Amino acid sequence: MAVGNSAMILETGVGWTRGLKNALRAEFARWFRTRMWWIQILIWAAVVNGISLIVILSSPAAVREEGAMFFNIFLGIAGPIGVSIIMQDVLAGERHAGTAAWVLSKPVSRAAFVVSKLVANAVGVAVTMVLAQGVIGYLIMTFLAHLELSLAGFAAALGAHLVNLLFYLTVTLMLGAIFEARAAVIGIPLAFIFFQQWLPGLWAPLAKVIPYTLAVPLGNDNASSIAIALMTGLQPQTYLPLISALVASVLFVAVALWAFQRQEL
Amino acid sequence: MEFAVDTHGLAKSYKRVNALQPLNLQVPKNSIFGFLGPNGAGKTTTIKLLLGLIRPTSGSADIFGLDMARNSVAIRARIGYLPQDPRFYEHMTARQVLDYTAHFYFKGPAGEIAKRISETLDLVGLADKADRPIKGFSGGERQRLGIAQAQVNYPDLLILDEPAASLDPMGRRDVLEVMELLRKYTTIFYCTHILDDVQRVSDAVAILNHGELVAHGPIEELLAAGEGLAYEVTLEGEADMAYQRTVSQPWVSGIKASPRNGSTHWIVNVTDEEAAKAQLLRLLLADQALVVTDFHRKEHQLEDVFVRIVEGGQHGSGQ
Repeated sequence: MAVGNSAMILETGVGWTRGLKNALRAEFARWFRTRMWWIQILIWAAVVNGISLIVILSSPAAVREEGAMFFNIFLGIAGPIGVSIIMQDVLAGERHAGTAAWVLSKPVSRAAFVVSKLVANAVGVAVTMVLAQGVIGYLIMTFLAHLELSLAGFAAALGAHLVNLLFYLTVTLMLGAIFEARAAVIGIPLAFIFFQQWLPGLWAPLAKVIPYTLAVPLGNDNASSIAIALMTGLQPQTYLPLISALVASVLFVAVALWAFQRQEL
Repeated sequence: MEFAVDTHGLAKSYKRVNALQPLNLQVPKNSIFGFLGPNGAGKTTTIKLLLGLIRPTSGSADIFGLDMARNSVAIRARIGYLPQDPRFYEHMTARQVLDYTAHFYFKGPAGEIAKRISETLDLVGLADKADRPIKGFSGGERQRLGIAQAQVNYPDLLILDEPAASLDPMGRRDVLEVMELLRKYTTIFYCTHILDDVQRVSDAVAILNHGELVAHGPIEELLAAGEGLAYEVTLEGEADMAYQRTVSQPWVSGIKASPRNGSTHWIVNVTDEEAAKAQLLRLLLADQALVVTDFHRKEHQLEDVFVRIVEGGQHGSGQ
């Protein structure tokens, strides 16, 4: 430091964690010290629980368990779309805006930059889209639909949703680290969200690994959706999608770290 | 001489375009170094290479003796950088931007960091806007914030890409004052199109053109290597006879004459300063039909040197 204040304590690390704490602090502040967290809760409350509530209130008492199915389907399809939209701005958006170059001109490692985005957004999504919606959904289904749901089963179903959203969060992060064009960063996950349900038609074993069945049933078989099965007390047909989504997420993060290290800003 | 920046054949190409041809550049420590060139000359590419934001196609650079490629984080810990078009997180306030920046360099104590932030906000005249979201900031205010965040860490090397862009004349003056103030403590490497500023504050300059270093050296040397010694004269009346008499002097190498507001303006290039000082004005005053309304030694302007080098495609070095 040229005219450094001797009372200041310098950051001295040079490894991959250099700048991580500060970057995480800023990323968490972006989620939880701005309006972002409650706006996200409101949006997803309207999209997931609002529509489920309408279905429940307009259904005869005998078929109110459909409310649980709709909760899972809306969170399972609209959730990944929302996550992809949020995440497209994270690396690709910051490269375009010039903020990535600004931050990385400071003593912060690229890995710390990417990890801070991953962790803070994963927590933000978990709190606003999964936990908050789960609490609202549980209250609606218990007190308005009068469904007898196991709290543990409900929580396990939310875990499956979290893994599903994590898959899209990491894939969009990875695409943002690889591609310049935002169309690719958002387009590929959106296309996958809509078209993956037809993949088992091309090759049946894919039904056991695609993230689609974490939340949404294939056809009318509720047990083919891990989240619906867990929530309604059924035995899921397979837990493989859970494992494959987690493994894929780890791979996506690894590729994102590798690709962003090589990006020119 | 110790160098803050020392590049060795540093080059960058994109596909088939040479954005920066092998660059050998030395920036002396504690100097104010003007890095000049027309748009697209490779100035920002050079800065991004030094900051590790892009990777060189070939060559290397040492910053404070540390290799740029192997010690990027350690180097960035000693640098402050103002981008050409400063972009910050829009949801933050000016104080939050500085707090975020400062915490990449300092662990604490919180009170000292807060004090430093307040000092920096005062320095750039943003104290009264410190807690407003920067979303509503004007271009000039963003530029001031950019300067503030670039030097909040007491950098050993301050890299400024167009520091006076978007600033009004007062802001521009303030920036130059800040640079003058900091020169005691830091090396300032800056790009600008405002050549008056460069001439006013810089110790040395380098000029890039089409990705190639075309001039490099102390500013006095660059100016002296310009058009040579010359006098500017403004005359009223019939000047033909005086022209013939003057141009025939052995110490006059040429006269560039042009009309100016009803008068005649000459630039008289001379080869012998003493002879010109003693005789030129006398020669002109000897003509009763002429009135000399202005007579002075021509001050060389960096702008003239810059235009001549860039437009003339001159290659070479002042060193």
